[in-house]
Amino acid sequence: MGRRVAVVGAGMTRFVRRAQETGKELAWEAARAALDSCEIGLETVDAVCLTSAPDAFDGVHMKGEYLSDGAGAWGKPMIRTYVGGGSGVFAGIQAWYTVASGMADVVLVVAEEKMSSCRPHPQGAFLTIFDSVLERPLGPNLLWIFALEMNRYMSAYGLDKRDIASVAVKNKRNAVAHPSALLADADITVEDVLASETLAWPVQRLDVSPISDGAVALVVAAEGVAERLTHRPVWIEGVGWNLDTAYWTNRDLAFPEYVANAARMAYAMAGVTEPRKQIHLAEPYDPFDYKELHHLEGLLLFDRGGAPEAARDGVLERDGDLPSCPSGGLLGVGNPIAAAGLMKLAELFWQLRGEAGARQVPGTPERGVAQAWGDLMQVGTVVVMGTQGASGRTATAGPAGTGASAPTPPPAPRARSLSEDQFLDAPGAVEHAVDARYEWDAGVAIGRFLEGLRQGRILGRSCTGCERVLVPPRMFCERCFRATDAWVEVETSGTLETFSVCHVAWDMERLATPQIPAVVSLDGSDGGFLHLLGEVDPDEVRIGMPVEAVWRHVGERTGSILDIAYFRPRREVG
Amino acid sequence: MLERVSRPRDVRRWPGSIPVRHRYTPGVAGEAFFSALRDRGVLLGSSCERCRFVYVPARLFCERCFAELEPDAEVGPGGEIVSFTIGSVGLEGEPLDEPVALALVRPDGADAVLLHRVLDPGDEPLEIGRRVEIVLRPGNERTGSILDIEGFRVED
Repeated sequence: MGRRVAVVGAGMTRFVRRAQETGKELAWEAARAALDSCEIGLETVDAVCLTSAPDAFDGVHMKGEYLSDGAGAWGKPMIRTYVGGGSGVFAGIQAWYTVASGMADVVLVVAEEKMSSCRPHPQGAFLTIFDSVLERPLGPNLLWIFALEMNRYMSAYGLDKRDIASVAVKNKRNAVAHPSALLADADITVEDVLASETLAWPVQRLDVSPISDGAVALVVAAEGVAERLTHRPVWIEGVGWNLDTAYWTNRDLAFPEYVANAARMAYAMAGVTEPRKQIHLAEPYDPFDYKELHHLEGLLLFDRGGAPEAARDGVLERDGDLPSCPSGGLLGVGNPIAAAGLMKLAELFWQLRGEAGARQVPGTPERGVAQAWGDLMQVGTVVVMGTQGASGRTATAGPAGTGASAPTPPPAPRARSLSEDQFLDAPGAVEHAVDARYEWDAGVAIGRFLEGLRQGRILGRSCTGCERVLVPPRMFCERCFRATDAWVEVETSGTLETFSVCHVAWDMERLATPQIPAVVSLDGSDGGFLHLLGEVDPDEVRIGMPVEAVWRHVGERTGSILDIAYFRPRREVG
Repeated sequence: MLERVSRPRDVRRWPGSIPVRHRYTPGVAGEAFFSALRDRGVLLGSSCERCRFVYVPARLFCERCFAELEPDAEVGPGGEIVSFTIGSVGLEGEPLDEPVALALVRPDGADAVLLHRVLDPGDEPLEIGRRVEIVLRPGNERTGSILDIEGFRVED
């Protein structure tokens, strides 16, 4: 599997609500700190791997190229990747293959995010992750996906919200020891989380990580070079990534199979056969408290539905049997998206070198796993790092390093925080909107589907390869990668897979009347379908209840997802 | 696999947008540049001693050697035309009443160049290498904007 590859340096900025620094200034502060940590200059760097969120976030097209000077890419090969929330961890994977392939000996990895530029709320840039034809007319916001998944997860395993909330408490307390942290809180309790504002039930304010600005950087080097740059390289033992279907309502919402697939890939490469014994600390992705637990199960560190109990029993605490997010995670340190993922690799680096200071987990951890999640909520990215290198290899790092001689504590993080007034009054600041409008075509399968809705019918496509009936219909099956076979009319009634009661719009303004988004499994089809519930008291909605479509009057139908007014609890036919 | 569209008016399309706007703040070095421009009427650059390169506007770091820089190099107000163009159509391709002359000017003391308008280019053709003066708006009209620079005036 190519050359062995190690992390030899790391640096990061503070994570703040609004940074005075531009994106490239943030990138430079983190990159400079990472280079300083292993005492090298840009001349030693062969290539740059950069990651940052979509251009629409900052309103800067070709944002990677814009950031390139801050990432140290002047006169060097650079490639920017982006896999949504999974990006920060994926940047480490990208650095691994850039070095393992022999293309570069030393790579500077930079992850930068500046979310404060995007107004009124960066969620606006995320709205297009919803299907423009089938989902956006329903008025979705990003919280729907998380709330629907969290509810399904809780329901599938009979979980207690208190145990999930304990993760937010753990991470915000852990973050007290992190000099970069935005949302550390030594005194927070489970009661505080449970009493916080309900955004989209079961998601409450303190279950969620904050939007933030910040940057993180690593220096990654090849075997033979790494030992010269530092006395204590931390080896990238395994990498893995994997995607589930783009149709999020068709996924198993209770278990992230794509994370498990990515973990299996990384563990196989690292020679990890018993993850729970061979992994000593974990940095799973925690943009929401339930996601940390969901991901620990996806990482095969706990049985399905078993992680919340571990949280309750203290197993995940910094001094527990499997410390999880000792950094404080996204919930405590902050969530500048791409940077937050790379922070997890930086934390493994510091922890495995014994340089995490007040955050240091006890004992001498030898191997850790970091993971992130993203794309259209369907990618898992996993990196296993260890002090010994992959098993089956020589145990030591080779000849004693001749680089920096003593453990260097990470430098004090930079990034200057602006108040709202300072942000609005900054000299030279300007405000623009990207004045672009789009027209999205329904396409072949959805065009026919919409015509069916106009007639009061719900149409799917059958695939004889996997024997599924696909709703929403598609002309090809993404599993079998063959043309689907026939149009099939499915029932207009089904079973409630999951739901949320959502109190906010995408710009986080409170709604006058809450919406009840729901995933419905239509009878006669495989996989769920997103719509809204109506004619029901939110308190009486239950997962598993039978529901039926309520149609608009024939004359009001336009061939739109809104031709179904909503779903309601099924009435007995009498 | 292609399905022929026989009734084009029935093709379903959804109009939409990405409903965000952006506030661009100039950053650590940019705030120093715009404050000095507004308050003191000077063009502030940053000098990298190691690379012997003076950036303008000021920068927090040198992209060549990654050293931290201070925004303390005052450049201009004289300068030299590095290149220029004369625009005679607008964004939509419409002819402009008055052609717009734009130039890249290297301010005295700087290695980087600035883009701005050429003021009253007159009848004499512009030339690369011509000396210009960087003209600022009066102090009470400056707001901390690139438009605090009125433009470049060709020296006689």
